[in-house]
Amino acid sequence: MSATTFNRLTPYLFLAPALVIMVLALLYPLGYMVYGSFRDWDPSQALGESEFTGLANYVTLWNDPNFRESVAVTLKFAVSVVSIEMLIGVGLALLLDRNLRGMSVLRTLFILPMMIAPVVVGLVWRYMYHPTVGIFNNTLKSIGLEPVDWLGQHALLSVIIADIWQWTPFIFILSLAALQSLPRSALEAARIDGATGWQQIIHIKLPLMMPVLIVTGLLRLIDAFKVLEVILVMTEGGPGLSTEILALRISRTATEFRELGVAAAMSNYLLILLMLLTLLMLFYNRWQEYRAAKAKRAIEEAV
Amino acid sequence: MAAVSDNSQAQHPAFYAVVVMLIIMAVGPIALMFVNSFKLDVDIISGTSGLLFLPTIQNYETALCDVLPYELDHLDFCALKFGGAFINSLIIALVSTFFTLVIGCMAAYALVRFRFMGRDTASGTTLMVRMVPPAVLLVPVFGLWNNEFCISKTSWLGEIIRDNFGGRGDVCLAGTHSGIILIYIAMNLPFVIWILQSFIVQVPRQLEEAARMDGAGPFQVFFKVVLPLIKPGLAAAAIFTFRIAWNEYLLASALSDRDTKTVPILIVNNMSEFNVEWGVIMATGMLLAIPPIIFTLFASRQIITGMTAGAVKG
Amino acid sequence: MLSITKTLRTAAAASVLFAGQAMAGPYDDYAGMTLVVNFPAHPHYDAVRKILPEFTKETGIEVEVDQLPYLKMRERQTLELAQDEGDYDLIAYVVFSKADYVYADQLENLARYFMNPKLADPSYDADDLIDGYVYNIGFAGGNKGYLQGKTGSLFGIPYGSETSVLGYRKDIFEKHGLEVPETYEQMLDIACKIPELEPGMGGLSSRAASGHHASHAFLLHLAPMGGRVFDDSWTPIVNNEAGVKAANALKTIVDCGPEGAASFGFGEALGSFLAGDTAMFLDTTVVAGQINDPKKSKVVGKVGWAMHPMDVRRGSQTGGFGIGIPKNAENKEAAFLLMQWLTSKAGDKLVAMAGGNPSRFSTHADADVNAKFPHMATFGEALKHADPDWRPIIPVWGKINADLGTTLSKVLTEDLDIQEALDGVASRAKVVMEEAGYYTWQ
Repeated sequence: MSATTFNRLTPYLFLAPALVIMVLALLYPLGYMVYGSFRDWDPSQALGESEFTGLANYVTLWNDPNFRESVAVTLKFAVSVVSIEMLIGVGLALLLDRNLRGMSVLRTLFILPMMIAPVVVGLVWRYMYHPTVGIFNNTLKSIGLEPVDWLGQHALLSVIIADIWQWTPFIFILSLAALQSLPRSALEAARIDGATGWQQIIHIKLPLMMPVLIVTGLLRLIDAFKVLEVILVMTEGGPGLSTEILALRISRTATEFRELGVAAAMSNYLLILLMLLTLLMLFYNRWQEYRAAKAKRAIEEAV
Repeated sequence: MAAVSDNSQAQHPAFYAVVVMLIIMAVGPIALMFVNSFKLDVDIISGTSGLLFLPTIQNYETALCDVLPYELDHLDFCALKFGGAFINSLIIALVSTFFTLVIGCMAAYALVRFRFMGRDTASGTTLMVRMVPPAVLLVPVFGLWNNEFCISKTSWLGEIIRDNFGGRGDVCLAGTHSGIILIYIAMNLPFVIWILQSFIVQVPRQLEEAARMDGAGPFQVFFKVVLPLIKPGLAAAAIFTFRIAWNEYLLASALSDRDTKTVPILIVNNMSEFNVEWGVIMATGMLLAIPPIIFTLFASRQIITGMTAGAVKG
Repeated sequence: MLSITKTLRTAAAASVLFAGQAMAGPYDDYAGMTLVVNFPAHPHYDAVRKILPEFTKETGIEVEVDQLPYLKMRERQTLELAQDEGDYDLIAYVVFSKADYVYADQLENLARYFMNPKLADPSYDADDLIDGYVYNIGFAGGNKGYLQGKTGSLFGIPYGSETSVLGYRKDIFEKHGLEVPETYEQMLDIACKIPELEPGMGGLSSRAASGHHASHAFLLHLAPMGGRVFDDSWTPIVNNEAGVKAANALKTIVDCGPEGAASFGFGEALGSFLAGDTAMFLDTTVVAGQINDPKKSKVVGKVGWAMHPMDVRRGSQTGGFGIGIPKNAENKEAAFLLMQWLTSKAGDKLVAMAGGNPSRFSTHADADVNAKFPHMATFGEALKHADPDWRPIIPVWGKINADLGTTLSKVLTEDLDIQEALDGVASRAKVVMEEAGYYTWQ
């Protein structure tokens, strides 16, 4: 082998291990899943022994009110956590974007909730929400208020609160980073022109941060569809189906109801849903980038 | 937030109040877990949330009963095999982090430097793959690892494995450390490639060309020149990979058997309905949380770099 | 604590003595072997783990226990039993798994082992095992496929079997001059009075969480009210008058129950009773050990036991676990020996003294056991009314059970109309039954 062919092969050599693993452990399983979703498949069978049933699994699911409710819960959960977290996270970043002593400590400690295992987060919150020994109800009672049935009547809300606790810091830290990398000149110019704090935020800071915010929101949205352990530990999807997000329903269908074919079809629905959302966001992102670029140019021209 | 004055050192005390409150909110639940892990169940159930209790390490002893050198009086038998699970978790997390980094680094380097595929395509694909929730992988991985990715026990390799490691039936990926490690590498690769790309782009090309002039091959250039320069990126990627491998529950619980259980599985199992032993659960939760807490306290800068590199620069 | 270990030791010593005389050789071929067993995380099996060292000492057979929460255990077993060669030599299974495993031909028929003179212990006295449990847990292929009947045979032995009893706070009942309820009417009445009499205290602590828990609690009331899930021709009748009445009872109990009752799983329901937040507890007998354990309970010595109240009839639940040998096990004969040792008279007493649930008549009547656990007499009485048909143990039950449980949870938390909800369950159950072929002969 001559040196030049070796050089030409290098990129492939560098990429090969990653490709092999991705194909073997991601693409092949996904294909396997699509194949399995058309079959009546039980965990005690190998896929080959199962019976081909065409679109039956998809049709059953489409007509299954429980599945639809689960989709609704998933969307409700994802949309509310992402929007609330964006609101609080960006708000805090704007508020605290200044030289405060203790900011680095805050940032460090703020990362903690994200780093800790979801399983642990779930169990701590389950404990805190406990109807009688939990800290929330104890506090409510000690100040003379009625205790709240957190994981019963307000299960979805409770789960959303826990997620907000865990993930708002993510958005806060990213927005803060974005804020601090904004071009000083633009802000300087605005201040000289006498723009108030609010005007600076609405007309300069937010538009300039937008590309980062979009990506951040998209990442959070994707992750919101992955949440499973926290809810599993806190409520196991109950009461009723009120917190049974799709990921949880897939795992229950596979392990508890032992219907792998249906679970595969459900996984496909979830993937399609996510794909649509991502494409939508990417498309919107392009459009926003284009607008942001225009705004930036406008500001620079103004300067 | 009326007047935004950038460089003044003295800020309104209200801001400090906000910062302090945020810190309490972020750390409070974890502190609560820490405190409760030193309480007996009776103290926890009685709901006296105050600090008036006799701290005990009994919960930790119960959790670690399989690795403690002495017998415990309060236990009739050792039910929780926490020590074993901790070792499994360590093996799985460390090995998968190592391989993800090596493989991810090489791939990221190839994508950036040899640009035979647009970077946009690469990061688009990465994002797409990142979108796949673990729950979606559950069914196929469960099926494949148990039924397809197997070596017959009568083949020579299968025989060697069965003779040396025991066990019964065909040798399958399910139930082994390698099975779980493989899926973790696959899950983390896209993210690692994505982060590392943004670091490799910043390595000046001239450095590499100079090395090549001195007669270094592409592998030498990569390991001797590029790798040392992207250390911060590597640290960030390592922490994130480790975190996912260390914390993941769903796939591990589908793929592990009784000897390869990881700590999250143990904790979920221990929330068994007949006997919620809050004290012990809190202690195991605390033990599981220690490595991530250490990372956070000592490497928060790298973590923030990693997080922002993914979103801001990517 | 000390006294428990002490009694345990005495009991163990007695059994060693007994075993030493009776068995010289049956274990010799298997000594040194390691059996892998799969047990649930359950108070009875915690007690079993305490006595297993005794088995090893006596026989030389080592036992490695893989203990899992029981729903997890079922998932694990589904996978393990389907392999050509499995890891487990002996498994404990939940009652309703019996249908799945036997139907899929995954459990050994025990006839071959009880016929084998080298394995079967002549002093085993199988007639002493409680009939209801044997038929409910170990028997398959009889009437309706899961009840006693001439066509059935034995696939497992009840171990860790339970029935339902009513636990109540003696101190609270005395303080307010309340009578221990005999009927459902009285019980529901008291359950709703308690929160008024004792502010902050719930009436009756019941499980109600979505899924298996809610369904279990409902079925607990369905049998005494004369209801059934299916009639004799497998038509779902869960939505008849008795069904609605049982669901109403469950709703009343949850409404008058402790805070957060609608999301209680078994652990929370028991926890609430242990913490003294509830005056009554109606569920399995398995809790007695924990209620008397000062490390976990604040109500030690304050709890009295009574029969599961009756409505139109007496009918307490039959549940718990059985142990069986998987078809794909490696050491089946040694597994049988362990199974026989555990469920023998000596073993049953040993586990009862360690806090487990005995499965033999003789153990319930045993003087030592009764001296240590005075409630055993009430439990023995309750057993006489245990209803083996309080839930159908058929292979598709898992699916119907899940649907029933989710729907009931909606009734409890979202105020779904009860009749409407049960009608829905019945019609969906009908489809499942149809698909499974239960109406083929009609």
